Amino acid sequence: MKLLLIKHEELVGKISQKIIEANNIMREEIFQQVLSYEGPFCDVLRRNAEVARTKDLPLCQDTGFVEFFIFIPFNAIFERPIQESCDEAVKKVYSSKPYRYSIVTDPLYERKNTRTNTPSICHIFHWDEEKVQIRLLIKGGGSENLTTLFMLSPTAGEEELMGKIIEHVARHGSKGCPPLRVGVGVGGSADKAMLLSRLALTYSLSDVNPDPRYESLERRISEKLNQLRIGFQGLGVGPTIFSVHVLQAPTHIANLPVAVSFDCYLSRIGVVEVEPVRIESR
Amino acid sequence: MNLLELKAGERINYTGAMIVMRDAAQKRIEMLLRKGSNVPIDLKGKIVFYAGPTRIVDGRFAIGPTTSERMDRYVKMLFELGVLATVGKGQRSEMARKLCREYRRIYFVAPSGAAAALSEHVENIELLAFEDLGTEAVYEIQVKDFPLIVAIDSEGSDIFELIKSTNGGDRT
Repeated sequence: MKLLLIKHEELVGKISQKIIEANNIMREEIFQQVLSYEGPFCDVLRRNAEVARTKDLPLCQDTGFVEFFIFIPFNAIFERPIQESCDEAVKKVYSSKPYRYSIVTDPLYERKNTRTNTPSICHIFHWDEEKVQIRLLIKGGGSENLTTLFMLSPTAGEEELMGKIIEHVARHGSKGCPPLRVGVGVGGSADKAMLLSRLALTYSLSDVNPDPRYESLERRISEKLNQLRIGFQGLGVGPTIFSVHVLQAPTHIANLPVAVSFDCYLSRIGVVEVEPVRIESR
Repeated sequence: MNLLELKAGERINYTGAMIVMRDAAQKRIEMLLRKGSNVPIDLKGKIVFYAGPTRIVDGRFAIGPTTSERMDRYVKMLFELGVLATVGKGQRSEMARKLCREYRRIYFVAPSGAAAALSEHVENIELLAFEDLGTEAVYEIQVKDFPLIVAIDSEGSDIFELIKSTNGGDRT
């Protein structure tokens, strides 16, 4: 059978580069939104993109938890565990750039900083492609605190689902550096829904759900959330959210999990692809 | 300029000193006070900036506000220690708003997600205490023309509530 070899050094190199790009360079679609914003602090937000790019500084001091969604061929072999390759990239970047170490060891008691910004969070999925795709998210702690899970009644409909999300954003939206990006995981088990809600944050603003019913749901949630007029910085001017991305999965007859994750206006995401070396074996 | 006379919604460019501290440092100060120990920082008349800067590499670093509401549980303690104003991001609890009014103190928001730009307004940074906390240690910074908006004034008027009422009442 055919085996696909993924080189550790190549993974580390490509991931490192993308982490720096996501932290320092405002993505074009976000920059356009910032340019069209005319409201409190708009001067500072515009200048920030310029200063970060030219001075090799991060756009935000919270250089985040680095979260990876890694799609691998089922017949891939790796030189090192994937978690190790990802962590090596994170450590390399965060110890050489003016970034922040934001990760603590024990969550409840010592909360001692690891001083490497590792471990990163790695989610690994098999897929039927011959390349490795890594979608990464630089996840700030402020927007992370907005994460929520609703275990709705299985008979609930889209109105109830939307109501829950709107109520939550109305209450907490100003604290997550809006305009927000909203990832919604619908179905599965609680953990599956949560995972989908986070994966959803790695898509571009223009990406929509391929199922027209869910695309329409995304659009309706977007419209309702923007009517809240929380605006840039929570100061009432400009959009409240940039986009809503829904990902759905089969669920249990008794359940309707709805997980909602949020990303700040900077939307520090990136996609890395690695071509494997093909090996024929008997 | 008398900071305490500023009104909710006003933008200023602040030049002067700020004490940088966030969750872990305030938790430690509370613990020291509870044990009757000495607090190694003088906060009287100071502005506290809720922030954790990046590491400094070749003299370059980034700094910006973190979510203030998380530290509402320490607001009373800070005011008792003489803090004049706090700086952070996002709306605070009703409790924090009432404390601002009661103590005649002020809460500013600084632009969030703009740490590279803000770093250009910081002329000096110095470690004051709790070095073991890393980015959560206490620092003093000297800033020039640092952009701030009054979010809660000393009368307890809250910009986020004002925005909600202009948008047509309570949205929740």
